[in-house]
Amino acid sequence: MSALRSRLAAIVGDDRILTRTGELRSYEADGLPGYQKRPSLAVFPGTRDETVAVVRVLADTGTPYVARGAGTGLSGGALADDVVLLGLHRLKRIISIDRDNARAVVEPGVVNSRLTAETRRFGLHYAPDPSSQTACTIGGNVAENAGGPHCLKYGVTLNHVLALTVILPDGTVVTLGSPNGEQEGYDLLGAFIGSEGCFGVVLDATVRLTRDPAAIRTLLADFSSVDAAAQAVSAIIASGIVAAALEMMDANTIQAVEASIYAAGYPTDAAAILLIELDGPAAGLEDDVARVIQFCRSAGARDVRVASDPADRARLWQGRKKAFGAMGRISPHLVVQDAVVPRTKLPAVLATIQRIATEHRVNVCNVFHAGDGNLHPNIGYNADDPDEAARVHVAMTEMMQACIDAGGSITGEHGIGLDKLQYMDRLFTAPTLEAMCALRAVFDPDRRSNPGKVIPIHSCSEWRAAPSVRAAAVR
Amino acid sequence: MSGVTRAAAACALPGTPLAAVSAGIDACVHCGFCLQACPTYLTLEDENDSPRGRIVLMRALVEGTLPPTDADVRTHIDRCLGCRACETACPSGVPYGQLLEGTRATLARVSPNPWIARFILFVFARRPLLWLAMMGGRVTRALRVSALLSRIPGRVGFAMAMLEATRSPVQRADYIASSDGTRGSVALLTGCVMEGLFADTNRATARTLEANGYRTQPAPGQRCCGALHAHAGDLDTARVLARANVAAFERAGAELVAVNASGCGAMMKEYGELLADDPEWHERAKQVASRVRDVTELLAAAGPQPGAPLPLAVAYDAPCHLLHAQRLSEPPLRVLGAVTGLELLPLEGSEHCCGSAGIYNLIEPETSARVLDVKLENIARSGASIVATGNPGCLMQIGAGLLRTGSRARVAHPVDLLDASYSRAALP
Repeated sequence: MSALRSRLAAIVGDDRILTRTGELRSYEADGLPGYQKRPSLAVFPGTRDETVAVVRVLADTGTPYVARGAGTGLSGGALADDVVLLGLHRLKRIISIDRDNARAVVEPGVVNSRLTAETRRFGLHYAPDPSSQTACTIGGNVAENAGGPHCLKYGVTLNHVLALTVILPDGTVVTLGSPNGEQEGYDLLGAFIGSEGCFGVVLDATVRLTRDPAAIRTLLADFSSVDAAAQAVSAIIASGIVAAALEMMDANTIQAVEASIYAAGYPTDAAAILLIELDGPAAGLEDDVARVIQFCRSAGARDVRVASDPADRARLWQGRKKAFGAMGRISPHLVVQDAVVPRTKLPAVLATIQRIATEHRVNVCNVFHAGDGNLHPNIGYNADDPDEAARVHVAMTEMMQACIDAGGSITGEHGIGLDKLQYMDRLFTAPTLEAMCALRAVFDPDRRSNPGKVIPIHSCSEWRAAPSVRAAAVR
Repeated sequence: MSGVTRAAAACALPGTPLAAVSAGIDACVHCGFCLQACPTYLTLEDENDSPRGRIVLMRALVEGTLPPTDADVRTHIDRCLGCRACETACPSGVPYGQLLEGTRATLARVSPNPWIARFILFVFARRPLLWLAMMGGRVTRALRVSALLSRIPGRVGFAMAMLEATRSPVQRADYIASSDGTRGSVALLTGCVMEGLFADTNRATARTLEANGYRTQPAPGQRCCGALHAHAGDLDTARVLARANVAAFERAGAELVAVNASGCGAMMKEYGELLADDPEWHERAKQVASRVRDVTELLAAAGPQPGAPLPLAVAYDAPCHLLHAQRLSEPPLRVLGAVTGLELLPLEGSEHCCGSAGIYNLIEPETSARVLDVKLENIARSGASIVATGNPGCLMQIGAGLLRTGSRARVAHPVDLLDASYSRAALP
C-alpha cells in the first residue's frame, strides 16, 4: 500500500491522499449511513490529467477502486470496502456552455443545481433534478442514471446526456455517444449511464440543456386520505395530461418538513398532499390546470391551491426536495427505499406498505414521485435498539417483496449499490444476471471498478477467472 | 449486512461538554445538503472540512471509535469557521453551532488551544487589559502606523490592515436626534472592539435609534459578550461573562437590548442555552436573551425613517452570525433601503463567510486567506465602492483584504450609512 501511496502522491500531491483512520472516517458512508465501509486509501485528483494518471496507476497495479462524487447516493453505491476511494468532487469545472445548441460540457464533480444556476441567464436549465440536486454531482447522476420530480415529463439523466469521455478501468480513454446527437453502432453511452461506477470513470459529460417553459403552474392539493390522493394521481395520468411533476407526501413527511427551516406551508392536518406541476406554452395551460383541479376535487381533495408567484412555487418545491433530510427530526436513524410499481397499483401497494408497517410496529413516511409510481418509503428508527432494527429490516424486505409482487422493480433511481443486492435474485433470472456480468466484462473484465456492487457476486460464473479481484471482493 | 443495525454504544466521553449536546448529532441523516453551504469544504475540498464530515468525527468521539487526542480530529474541528451556514441549509435542524462549541470545549481539555488564542481570550476577559489593547490600537491608528504597515506581508501586515480598516469611510457631522421614546427604551451593548475601534458606529447606533423613536440609555457594568470564548471552547469563561452581562442589563432595566455586532448579538440571544445548567441564572439569562435585538431589527421595525441622499454604490455582505445564527436577512437591507440615493448592488456569495470568524483569521491564517480571496473576487465583480456589513470582525477582515489588494472599495456598518444620511438631512 505504501508503494501505491507514493505513486499516487507523486500525481496528486501528498495532502490529497488520505490513509489515516481519523481522516478516512468521513468517507465511510454515503447518504445511507446504515452502511459503513472503510476505504484502504482515498485519493482526490484535482484535474482531468491527474485523474487519468491515477486510474492508470490503479490499472498498472491491479488495484480495485470506487469512484465517489458528493456521497449523496442512497444505495451504498459509493462505498469502498478496503479498496481505493477515488473522489472526483474536485473536478468541478463547467468547461463550456453552448447557448445556441443548448448544451454544456462539464466535469464529473459539478454539482447538479450549479449547472442550472449558471445557465439560467440564457433561459436554459438542466432538467434532471434529483432531490439532492443542491449537493449531488453530475458524475454521480450519470453513474446512477439519476431521476427527480421533473423526470416524469422530461426524462431521466439518460435522456439528457449526449456524450461522455470516460476512462475505462484499464486506463483507456474513450468517447461514448456524440455531442451532435445520435451515434452509429451500438449504444455504448446508454450502457454506461446507470452502470453505477462499474464500467469506468467519467472525465467529462456533454449534457443537453432544456429551454425554460413559457409558463409554469404549481398546484398543492390537500387530501384527508392517502387513498384519495392516489386516486387523483391515477385520474390525472389516465386523462393524458402530462404533468411536469406529480409528487405525493404523507402526513408524517408533511410534519417533518413543516418543522424544518424549509417549511413550505403544507397543511399539517392533511393525510396526504400532491404537488403537481404543469408547464408549457401559456395557451391551453389554464385549461389543464382547471381539469387537474377537477380531478383532485372529484377524488376528494379538501383544497387545491395554485402557487401565487415564483417565490411561493420555489417554497413549495424546497419543502419537497428537502423532505428526506428533514426526517432526521423524527428519529436518530433512517432507511429509505426506492421501488417502482405500475401506477394503477399505487393505492393497493400504499395500503400494503401501511399494513406491513403497522404489523411490524415501524414508523413509515412516504414521499415519492407518484406520477411514475416511484415509491420512497422512509423508515425512521433507533439503530441502538436491536429489536427495533430487526423489525425495520423485516418490514423493509416485505415492502420490497410487495412491490415486486405488484409487478414493480426494486429501484427507480437510487440504484442497486449494496443495499438492493439482496433483491436482484428475486427480480432477475440467472441467465439475465449472467448477461449483465458479460456486459460488465466488456468494460471491466477484472471487476476492479466498484467491486461487489450491483450484481451478487455468485451470479457471475466468470468471476472465478480473476482470482486477484476475487480476493479483494471477498476481503 | 442489513444496513439497519449497529452495535449499541455508551457515550465514551461522559461528563464532557460534547456529551451534554451529543443528542444533536443524531439529527444528522448524512444527506450532504450542507456541503455546498460550507466555505471550508468549498475551499479545501475535503469532506473532513465539511459539516457532515465534522459531525462524523464528533460521533466517533462520542462512540469512542476515535480518541479526543486524534490529531486529525483536532485539525478538522479547528479548521471550522463556526459560520453556521450549514444550519440554514440543514433540513433536519442539526444544532451545529452547539455541537462545535461542545466539541471544542472537550478537545481543549485534552490539549489546550494555541497560545495566541489563549492570549486573546485572556485579554478580552479582563477589562484593564482590553482597555490597554484598544487604546494601543487607537494610538497606532492615529499615528498612521497602521496605514504605513498595512501592506507588508505576513500576519503583522494583515493585523495592521485590519486596524486601518476600522476608519469610517463616510464623513458626517454630529447631529442631535430627538426621540419621543414611543418605541420603548433600549440599552446598547457597547462591546469590546466596537467601543474600542468603532466608537463612531456606537454613537451612530444610538443616534439612529433615537431618530426612529427609541429612547437609549446606558447599561453600566457590561463586559465582553463571551462569544469568542464560547466559539473557542472556553465555555467556563463565556459563562462568567454572560452572568455579568445578564446582571448589567437587568440593572439597566431597558425594555430592549440593542447590539450592533452580530457575533455578540447571536451570543447574547443564546445566553439561555449557555447557562442552561445553572439553576440560579438560567431563567434570568433567558429573560435577558429574549430582549436582545440586532440594531437593524429595531430600525427596520420603525421603518426606518428615510434620510438625505447619499449617492453610493453599496454591496451588502451578510455577517454569518446575523444571517445563519440569528436568521436575519431583511432588516439590514431595510436599513440600507432607507438611505435615499444609495444603489444596492448584488453580491454573489454574500451568504458565505469572509473568513474572519472571530479570531479564526489569526489562528488559521492560511484557510482564512483562501476564504477571503473568494469574497474579494466577488466584491470586485460587484463594482461596489462600499461593502456594508454589520459585524466588527467582518468589517476588519474584508476591509483589510480590500486595502491589501489595492482595491478602492471600503467597508462600513449599515448603521453608519444611515447615520451619514441622517447627518446630511440635519445640515442647515
